[in-house]
Amino acid sequence: MPREIITIQAGQCGNSVGSQFWQQLCQEHGINQDGNLEDFATEGGDRKDVFFYQSDDTRYIPRAILLDLEPRVIHGIQTGPYRNIYNPENFHVPREGGGAGNIWAAGYAAGDSVYEEVMEMLDREADGSDSLEGFMLLHSIAGGTGSGLGSFLLEKLNDRFPKKLIQTYSVFPDTQSVGDVVVQPYNSLLSMRRLTENADSVVVLDNGALTRIAADRLHVQNPSFAQTNQLVSTIMSAATTTLRYPGYMHNDLVGIIASLIPTPKCHFLMTSYTPFTGDIVDQGKTVRKTTVLDVMRRLLQPKNRMVQTNTTKKSCYISILNIIQGEADPSEVHKSLLRIRERRLATFIPWGPASIQVALTKKSPHMPMSHRVSGLMLANHTSIATLFKRIVLQYDRLRKRNAFLDQYKKEPAFADGLGEFDEAKAVVTDLIAEYEAAEDAGYLNPQGPGAAGEGGGVPQ
Amino acid sequence: MTLELQEAAILEDLLFVFMGYEGQYIRFREEYNPSSQIDRLTGAQLKVLPGLDPSLRDMTDEILKMATYYMAVEAFVEVQSREEFGAVNHALCAAIRKLLKDYLILIAQLEHQFITNPKFTLHILHLHIQPTAKVMSVLHALAHEMLVRNQLLGNEEDEESLDDFDDVENILESLREGGDIGSGRSKICKGGSVLGLLTHQLTSRAGDPAARNLLSMLLRESSRPYMAMLNEWLHHGGIRDPHAEFLVKEQKSIGRARLEEDYTDEYWEKRYTIRDGDVPPQLEGVKEKVLLAGKYLNVVRECGGVDVSKKIQDVPKTFDDARFLENVNSAYAHANESLLKLLLTTHALPERLRSLKHYFFLDRSDFFTYFLDLGQSELRKAARDVNVSKLQSLLELALRQPGSVAASDPFKEDVKVTMNDITLNKWLMRVVNVSGLVDEGSGVFMDEAKTSTTSEKDKDNYIGYHALEFDYMVPFPLSLVISRKTILRYQLLFRYLLQLRFLEMRLGSAWQGQNAVYPWKARSRYPQVESAKRRTYTLRARMLVFIQQLMYFCTSEVIEPNWEKMQRRLEKVTTVDELMQDHVDFLDTCLKECMLTNAKLLKLHAKLTQTCEYYSGFTPDLTRYLGQMDPELLRPKERPPGAIADMSRLKKMTDHLNVYEGHFSRHLKILLESLNYYAATETVVFLELCARLQTAWGEGEGGGEVFFFKAGVVVYPEQIA
Repeated sequence: MPREIITIQAGQCGNSVGSQFWQQLCQEHGINQDGNLEDFATEGGDRKDVFFYQSDDTRYIPRAILLDLEPRVIHGIQTGPYRNIYNPENFHVPREGGGAGNIWAAGYAAGDSVYEEVMEMLDREADGSDSLEGFMLLHSIAGGTGSGLGSFLLEKLNDRFPKKLIQTYSVFPDTQSVGDVVVQPYNSLLSMRRLTENADSVVVLDNGALTRIAADRLHVQNPSFAQTNQLVSTIMSAATTTLRYPGYMHNDLVGIIASLIPTPKCHFLMTSYTPFTGDIVDQGKTVRKTTVLDVMRRLLQPKNRMVQTNTTKKSCYISILNIIQGEADPSEVHKSLLRIRERRLATFIPWGPASIQVALTKKSPHMPMSHRVSGLMLANHTSIATLFKRIVLQYDRLRKRNAFLDQYKKEPAFADGLGEFDEAKAVVTDLIAEYEAAEDAGYLNPQGPGAAGEGGGVPQ
Repeated sequence: MTLELQEAAILEDLLFVFMGYEGQYIRFREEYNPSSQIDRLTGAQLKVLPGLDPSLRDMTDEILKMATYYMAVEAFVEVQSREEFGAVNHALCAAIRKLLKDYLILIAQLEHQFITNPKFTLHILHLHIQPTAKVMSVLHALAHEMLVRNQLLGNEEDEESLDDFDDVENILESLREGGDIGSGRSKICKGGSVLGLLTHQLTSRAGDPAARNLLSMLLRESSRPYMAMLNEWLHHGGIRDPHAEFLVKEQKSIGRARLEEDYTDEYWEKRYTIRDGDVPPQLEGVKEKVLLAGKYLNVVRECGGVDVSKKIQDVPKTFDDARFLENVNSAYAHANESLLKLLLTTHALPERLRSLKHYFFLDRSDFFTYFLDLGQSELRKAARDVNVSKLQSLLELALRQPGSVAASDPFKEDVKVTMNDITLNKWLMRVVNVSGLVDEGSGVFMDEAKTSTTSEKDKDNYIGYHALEFDYMVPFPLSLVISRKTILRYQLLFRYLLQLRFLEMRLGSAWQGQNAVYPWKARSRYPQVESAKRRTYTLRARMLVFIQQLMYFCTSEVIEPNWEKMQRRLEKVTTVDELMQDHVDFLDTCLKECMLTNAKLLKLHAKLTQTCEYYSGFTPDLTRYLGQMDPELLRPKERPPGAIADMSRLKKMTDHLNVYEGHFSRHLKILLESLNYYAATETVVFLELCARLQTAWGEGEGGGEVFFFKAGVVVYPEQIA
């Protein structure tokens, strides 16, 4: 069972997205609500063991660890239709269940108390894998548990499993309208530091963009959480198809993200998915024409991105991976790539490879779809820095007023003052600067030619 | 004596002579020796004693020719009926005997006339024997020619043939036609040659209806045994040919047993061959079909003993049957059908091919990734130290994983791990240099390549990853299609893909090394250091993009579409040879489109991959340099006490980087240019590759676009508005 991935779901958001994700995987692989394989799905041809292991009675059990500091969502999972597939030992909810109260520091501090138990779960899952490739963390960075406990886990995972990859699916708060959580800029900034320093790859899912896409594409005024979660789980399942339905390439996580992330710091990926139809999301609108070119073009449209960014003239792609599912003809792919370059639909960094890759994968045979092709784009785009800028801006506004800091000061991380905030801000500012530098042709030689020895990085 | 008496005496003598005896006045010439076989075969030379009236003498001489012919033909029949002359000759002799019997009856009737009819004159005799004389002369000519072929006339042949110029002509003609007089001299004219000779006579006497009828009859009769053999072969795949007459030769020594241990094409190519000189002209056009039809039936019979011979009641028995060709064609179609059915259905050829695709093209490479993970420690060793049996058991472990493509593959037992002593590139270069393409002689290259000596240093650098190769046991009769030659092609492609995969893996771990390790993560105070890091990342990213794009191209744009094409052809294929050809064509196309058949591209590719490989192994050094350059980049606990920034290291690092960057960019550029060139001249699909590899170059450097749009114009002109 090679290259397994262990999923960690933290907090309300992480768990609801996660439960949706597992439901989707079960449907795609033909696993029923008890974890048994449906009769029609015994044919095989897929790799279930990346995300599932088989119990003694051959039921499929997700390699998932579900953590929360308050019981509501997890309780929902435990009573939901798919309650039986999870390993009951992998739930962690403290009995008192007060939650982190949307305070990062509280979630982070709770980490210490759950540390032993969680590590025990992780070790058990890791030992149950033949060659563990890495971890997938699902969380939001605005609240308390997902961000605080998530940050704590990121640090610890790095120490405990230094050679394993860590990929996160992080739901960012809507930075363009007032959120329900007033302290979310604090939480976001503090989580951002860990995402920058401790994760290998972060798939950014912007709640603002998710809501907008749900509204635009699905014609729903106020999309429910369930609907946006469905968007997220669709993306996650599409992003992992190459692992679950292996082909010639991209059948491990490194293969996917190594070329997406040329420079280690710039590891925040944005996604687009098209088309969303009724099969995937309830009340989806049918998109008539799905050729490869059409799909690839749509994927490049900013309005389909799951992140709200402000693109400037200079912003550009660092890399792109399009995962195309369905009946795609390689020659169609080739034509589409030509067209994209001809029309300059995507600008790339001026100093490095114009890495636009395509992975062709199968669709799950158990999920009927009305369209021929669907596509997911994983992209590394410099404009993501504007999202981070907004977070810093909102943080600055809040911080100037020293608002709502009491809750934080209570917790051990801030016992010695608010240095943690300043450090986090420095890290994020640094990250923004890195992205901005990457837009510049002189990225490889910031001090001008000659400063770092002759030659430079640009082949003549 | 009076004229009347003379006539009566000579008539009586003639009747004796007709039976083959000397008469009173008609004697054998002195040169003629009745006990000599050659003389008898030539026919007795007779002379009439002097004194005969000239008016009778001329007519007698004329009539005597028939007697000579008769005696010669009788001798001929006697000789040719011997065992070693084969069934066709026997049938021919039988037919001739029948004619001789008619001849004797005629003589008896003449005698009766001679005794009872007082008006019976020499003229009347002459008149009566005319048709038979004609028959005898044709037979004699035929016999003579046959004897010349058989060399039974000895050295006198030249002298003899002088009288009969026609024969010389015929011999010359058959020489020109490529008929083997040479081998005819050394061996007996039998089987197909006899039929050929008859046919030839038939055509050369086309204007003579009597001779034509006679020869057609002879041909019809003598082809009966041949047709029996032909039908046996065509419909049952058997050869019942005790006298080695049939056009297909069977080499019994080449059996199936040898096929199992070394399934070369020997069985297929050499077990049954065509006797080129002995093909009857009627079969000349369809001889390949005849050969294949029987061959296929044989294969079908040998595998599992299924009897697929068609029960045919009504087969043509002779050559002049109108259904003759139809018979061959239908047998050919039937044999093809049965063998195809055997291969495709009973022996599951499509599944086999799919299985080969799993193992050699890694179309679902998850099991292979796992295998490489498991075998890591072994594969890192120098190739000669690798423990193959350990790898084999690891492979089996990987294949048994539930969910892997192999778990459901019934043929997984047939995959074997082997180590190849020669580097892929060297091998390919040899193949390219010798023949331009992997050819029939690939076995030779293999041996040749193996004898080449490699320096010690190369041997150390030649690690398990480079040498790893799969072998695949193909049982008979599938080995006819999936022969060693095709397996070799599979292996070449496999090693090529493995090389790319290995580099992807190396660059991936270099990525991890440059991602997570401390001196890379921490930000240096010195901008030069940061710049050097960025250059390191970028070069690695370029290489990774290069490798991944190449892999994508080879798999998704070369192997997969060509595979689909072959699958479609497989459904429609009607003959086995077509099937084999399609299979080889598929592999050759893949080799060609993966750049494996062009020496220049191979060289460039080797340079690029080598640069990538060295560079990916360079990360630990770089990490060390970084630590020495700026100790602040290290974790506090790893920092050597009192270490200070050492910028001389930076120089060293950038020097190295410059070299790698230079190498990579230069060769990539040349590769792109060459690909563009070859795309225009020979392999169009390189345009697509060119466009893909362009991305490794990036956008910022101008030159790239030029290639790109060139490519675009050529492939899709309609898109350039």
